[in-house]
Amino acid sequence: MTGLHTHLPKALFSPAMTTGGEQRGRWELLAPRTRKVISIVGVVLFLATAWELYKVVWGALGWIRPVRPDNVVMPHTWDMVIELFQPVRRGGAILIIDLAARTFWTLREALVGFVVGAGIGFGLGVLFVRSLLAERAFMPYVVASQTVPIIAIAPMVVVWGGRLDIPQWLAVSVIAAYLTFFPVAINTLRGLRSPDPTTLELMRSYAAKPNEVLWKVQTPAALPYIFTALKVSATASIVGALIGELPAGFQNGLGRALLTFSQQFAVQSTKLYSTVIVCALAGILFVGLVSWVERRVIPVRAVELDLETGIEPA
Amino acid sequence: MSQLVVDAHSVGKVFGKGEGRVEALRDISMQIEAGEFVSLIGPSGCGKSTLLRLVGDLTTPTSGEIEINGKPPRRARLDRDYGIVFQKATLLDWRTVRKNVELPLEIMDVDDRAKIADEMLSLVQLGDFGDHYPWQLSGGMQQRVAIARALTFNPSLLLMDEPFGALDEMTRELMQQEVLRIWHETDTTVVFVTHSIPEAVFLSTRVVVMSPRPGRISDVVETNLPQPRDEDTREAQAYYDKITEVREALRRQEARA
Repeated sequence: MTGLHTHLPKALFSPAMTTGGEQRGRWELLAPRTRKVISIVGVVLFLATAWELYKVVWGALGWIRPVRPDNVVMPHTWDMVIELFQPVRRGGAILIIDLAARTFWTLREALVGFVVGAGIGFGLGVLFVRSLLAERAFMPYVVASQTVPIIAIAPMVVVWGGRLDIPQWLAVSVIAAYLTFFPVAINTLRGLRSPDPTTLELMRSYAAKPNEVLWKVQTPAALPYIFTALKVSATASIVGALIGELPAGFQNGLGRALLTFSQQFAVQSTKLYSTVIVCALAGILFVGLVSWVERRVIPVRAVELDLETGIEPA
Repeated sequence: MSQLVVDAHSVGKVFGKGEGRVEALRDISMQIEAGEFVSLIGPSGCGKSTLLRLVGDLTTPTSGEIEINGKPPRRARLDRDYGIVFQKATLLDWRTVRKNVELPLEIMDVDDRAKIADEMLSLVQLGDFGDHYPWQLSGGMQQRVAIARALTFNPSLLLMDEPFGALDEMTRELMQQEVLRIWHETDTTVVFVTHSIPEAVFLSTRVVVMSPRPGRISDVVETNLPQPRDEDTREAQAYYDKITEVREALRRQEARA
């Protein structure tokens, strides 16, 4: 197709199309990393502009729905940024330093929970693919576990953790694991069942043991499914950690900061907004980490057509 | 008389029970000697693939007995007596071509896997493609890799289930030539399922003609065409005569039905 295009005489393209083509060409000349940075910054600027524009327009017209555009409910974007560099309390560290330490704390809880939950989820997937009986027996409970609100579970886990003398942050990790294991279990099961029957017959013809089928065929085939689940779970584990921190007694995490700042919202909302943005960044960081691992684990099926010849590179 | 590789006695296969009961095979008796190239041919639903799968212990007979190299099929499978090639190449996408060919060797715990794999890839004339991924190869090349993979552990029996069914005619003829060359170079016995009459005649020492509902053996045609077979064979009168013979055997069943 591309080959056909290049053979068309230039005159067939309208001047507008040619300009468009040249612009795209210039964009594609940039290094992939530069392009990525520009698009990310572009989106951030777009959102900030939309936010400020809303404030100006709604303020000028006196509209209050859906959201009143005053500086408490919708503080200026630059005030959120400035807030990051203000001391949290008199003489204390500035907010961004405080939040960075909290992010580290919460990410640790989330990561531990994520790893444990992913392990349990994978284990359940393997159990269910091997035994239909186990799937029938346990799947309803696995599903039920996710319909119970995490808000109800979190205090129980924290109290039980206290009785068992495990560190409180670890109890929070349990809650993160609780949210992590479900997508991984479901997708692992789906992925382990994805190889076609002929491939399994091939393994049978080699008299392969069930474990060899699991590790050489089923698990590699399941990896794309598992990584999809892991990305969902990465964000879920952060939500689990944030919520788990609410009933916990310690002051260290981002969840605690959200709670404290939400109580001050009516007076000073910028701290909450800044913290929410940091939570979002933590999620992006975590999902990015999972994607980075994914790119290294799964060989890229790079069927990139050579633009000049239309031939797949060997 | 040379050794029997496949020995089937009044084998029957029934799928399902009651209303949904389907009799796939009835009273199949067939002997295949070492070094033979036997094709199973017949219309869809004649049970030719089922018969092949019974030989490979991928399914079990409802009645009758099969022996592979004098053993029950399950024993033969566990002893890795046969290699199998399906219509789909069924290569593992995440492994290179070489690693795909090594797969059976890994499971069988054989050393020098890379060396054996490269030898096999040379045998199917893909010596330079070991580091490629399956999706970088054409359909014909993928099927060659599947053949190389089936031969890595020197099985005495090669089972092929419509291996060229998905290939275009030119590639198909090339592949037939390849399989014959490989059959001469190794001393494997081949059981080959196909629904192409010229393919069966060109390849086989013997063509087993099957009829459907239930699947039975209706005729056996000895081809007796001179070896080695090449492009000239495809233009020989004897080849056309044999094609006619097989076609008439298939027609006779229609008349009977």
